Amino acid sequence: MAKISKEERKNNIISASLKLFSERGFYITTIPDIANKVGMSVGNFYNYFTSKDILAKELLLYIADYLGQNIRAINESDASTEEKIYEIVSMYFNIAQERPEMIEYFLRVYLSNREVFKDGCEGMVCVSSFVTEMMIFFDDGVSSGDLHSQDFFSAFGLFMGYLGGMVFLFGEKILPEPLENYKSSISLNIYNALKTR
Amino acid sequence: MHLKQDNKLKLLWLQGVTCNGNTHSFLNLKNLEQFLDKFEILYLPAFKTKHTLQDIVKCDLDCDVLIFEGSYDPLMLRCSVELKDILTPYIEKAKYIVAVGSCASFGGIFKASAPQRNSGLLFDGESITENFIDYKDKIINLSGCPIHPEWLSYVLNMVLKDIKIEVDELHRPLELYSTLAHHGCTRNEYFEWKVDAKSFGKKEGCLFYVQGCRAPMTHSSCNKILWNEESSKTRIGTPCFGCTESDFPRQNLFSTKTNMSIPQDVPVGVPKRSYLTMAGIAKTFHIKRLEGKLIDYKTDS
Amino acid sequence: MITKQILEHIEGEASVHFEIKDDLVNFATVSFPHFRGMENILEGKNALDALVITPRVCGICGHAHLMATTRAIEDAYKNAGIEFILSDKSKKIREFTLIMEMIQNHFKWLYMVIMPEVNKLTKLDVPYKPLKGAFASSIASKAIAVFGGQWPHSSYMIPGGVTCDPTYVDVIKAQGYVDELINFFQKESVGIELDRFLSMQTCKEFNELDSDIAILERALIFADMQNKGFANDRFLIMGEHNFTKVSKLKHTRASVIDEKYISTVNAYSPNEITYAKNALYKDEYYECGPLGRMISVSHSMVKNIHRRYKDSAYSRVMARVFEIGYLLKYTSNLLNDIDISENSVVSLVDIKNISSTGIGIVEAPRGPLIHKIEIEQGIIKNYTIITPTQFNIGSSNINNLTPVQLAMKGTTQQEALFIFRTFDVCSVCTTH
Repeated sequence: MAKISKEERKNNIISASLKLFSERGFYITTIPDIANKVGMSVGNFYNYFTSKDILAKELLLYIADYLGQNIRAINESDASTEEKIYEIVSMYFNIAQERPEMIEYFLRVYLSNREVFKDGCEGMVCVSSFVTEMMIFFDDGVSSGDLHSQDFFSAFGLFMGYLGGMVFLFGEKILPEPLENYKSSISLNIYNALKTR
Repeated sequence: MHLKQDNKLKLLWLQGVTCNGNTHSFLNLKNLEQFLDKFEILYLPAFKTKHTLQDIVKCDLDCDVLIFEGSYDPLMLRCSVELKDILTPYIEKAKYIVAVGSCASFGGIFKASAPQRNSGLLFDGESITENFIDYKDKIINLSGCPIHPEWLSYVLNMVLKDIKIEVDELHRPLELYSTLAHHGCTRNEYFEWKVDAKSFGKKEGCLFYVQGCRAPMTHSSCNKILWNEESSKTRIGTPCFGCTESDFPRQNLFSTKTNMSIPQDVPVGVPKRSYLTMAGIAKTFHIKRLEGKLIDYKTDS
Repeated sequence: MITKQILEHIEGEASVHFEIKDDLVNFATVSFPHFRGMENILEGKNALDALVITPRVCGICGHAHLMATTRAIEDAYKNAGIEFILSDKSKKIREFTLIMEMIQNHFKWLYMVIMPEVNKLTKLDVPYKPLKGAFASSIASKAIAVFGGQWPHSSYMIPGGVTCDPTYVDVIKAQGYVDELINFFQKESVGIELDRFLSMQTCKEFNELDSDIAILERALIFADMQNKGFANDRFLIMGEHNFTKVSKLKHTRASVIDEKYISTVNAYSPNEITYAKNALYKDEYYECGPLGRMISVSHSMVKNIHRRYKDSAYSRVMARVFEIGYLLKYTSNLLNDIDISENSVVSLVDIKNISSTGIGIVEAPRGPLIHKIEIEQGIIKNYTIITPTQFNIGSSNINNLTPVQLAMKGTTQQEALFIFRTFDVCSVCTTH
């Protein structure tokens, strides 16, 4: 039997935690629940994450990094601003479909249980890798003349609020069509809202 | 009594298209008399010296140190002689050439007087011109609008000591221009914690994000070698205008260019991602001491 | 016969073309050979950028340009319907630094220009000490730097006030520099206490002294300058300040003045191209600078000198010397009542909301400096600058002589060249 590396074990914990927190809720899920799902002892679990709160924050950093790295790859590509918007939307919707627990965690745990995150994850500290990439995207877009300059949060809220909202509807099984089918129209709406006049 | 008059380096200060600001800044040098005594002064614009300008434009004098102030307009007339005809022989003869001020270094403010013709002595903006390219190795740029007198005093003292002056790619002495105007600004803590100045006229706050301060992008010693041995622009609440850089003067000098609230320019050499990450985190924390006033002057009711 | 003399050390160059008759100047014209096109450079720029650009009109009086620009933009705000009041604190600070620059100009002129020139004229071997002027100026510059950050070229005045927010530490420091200047003036320049100097009644009181100023005074008398260099005994003081009085003086009769009567015409210079324009008030030529200013504040000694010697070269020189003392006295008290807790700047709407015109007038060292700005949505559509040297050193045809032309008429060429400099000429300002 192949030995599972520490790295893989950690990732397994992350996946399992995300799923459980999303499905059952943050407060209901216990460490033994997670340890059990991963197939390790509680004691061993604490070798990886020293508390539930620490775990909660690590998960947030993990998601932010994951999204951040994907957006960075898009930022650094040669695509046009309009194409990049599509790529970001597409990437986000793909995650929503293939690893729904990531987006679910963000929407249902992070945004809904702010008190868990108030020490050490003030403001946007723990999502900075993701927010920074969105800043780079906007900065490049305005510098190149494709997007009109406006307040950062106006643009960020429009982009991310929109995506979050669509994924929320998807999660509630309200959308009649697969999320896939909304990529083009959503990207176009975002582009039209943000582009230079 | 001047001893060894013959051994003193002969110094000549010529001007192109200028406001004379560098001359007047230089006159503020502490111990100016002792300093000038180290040279045989052929000509200075501010007061009567050994020769008149009319003598100078005959170009039959030897000169060791040539100081040039103002934008270079080859056709400008000085005492009815074209500047290129005055400068060329002196540039050939001089062992050391110092372009003082941003106009002489890169074109500066007065490049705009005749954009097709005017430039710095050696550079036009950040590109080297054909003007005096053969002599580029002896040309030093002291950019700034104006220069600080101690910068010129440094260069000339180095010349007297016969120590080679290390320069950057824009021919500016590294010992003066490797630091940023940002280094030593008394508002640094506000920069660190991203506490932006709420308006002009306040002791508190950093001027980088809104008020257009270019100090983190500007190579100079302004907050290290204080102006008039007293202060600096940023210390008293005026944003740095980046006057030592080759793109001076820029436009919209009192406001920061942002793209979607993101500053277009970030500190020299700092990748934008790094800057934004740090700035984002700093901005999250609200430090009460830094957000309040330094001194609350209690007014009588 | 026309002879040409090139003058330097006037913040640039000028040429005077003399028509000599019986060894005396019958007529002279003045030309200024350089042009930088500052008014064009300003077009299309953000109006606030003028605060950085106009000081570069001149390295010795850039601060006066800064204040003129600031006032012009503020006037544009008012004409656009934005009412505001500058705090006393910001007004005092602005006036303080403006005066420090003025004092600095006068010291440089005294030691670097006029004393060497009087030497040339009289061959009296008046001691030549230009660096005394540089030293005094450096102290005045320090005083400016306390509030303005640096001198030259500070740009610390903005519409609504000033960028600095000083403490009493700064105020005391600035006052300390004024004290240092007063000590210097007393010890090195005049040889008596400032108060005694300012309360002098007659020139005879200089006879007991052996200071730089006393030597200068005697040299002027030796050269008969009290009987030469007369212009038209008309003066303009236009900048609104607490240290002077806005007025138009014909001899000593003061009357009201209105900026709308200022005009400019091309200078008359048949022998050489000139880029200068003459400035006039109601189509007449007026002198400006310290002589007029000191008469307007009824300074007793200058009024006595003027009563006796009219607007001779002697009066012009001595007025500038007395203005140094007067301004030193004035600034020693200026900051006494400053209220540090007042605001430094009153907040105004963004300049991009402003489309209107404005005029800013300041008493620069040499006289009134006028800036006119036309702004459209925050961008400069038009910018006009009129400098004091345009009033003093105009060059006109023989039928309507300017102050300097009148002053040089009927003197020897050598005397004329001296008299020219008694006006304290700024070449870069004139043509800008």
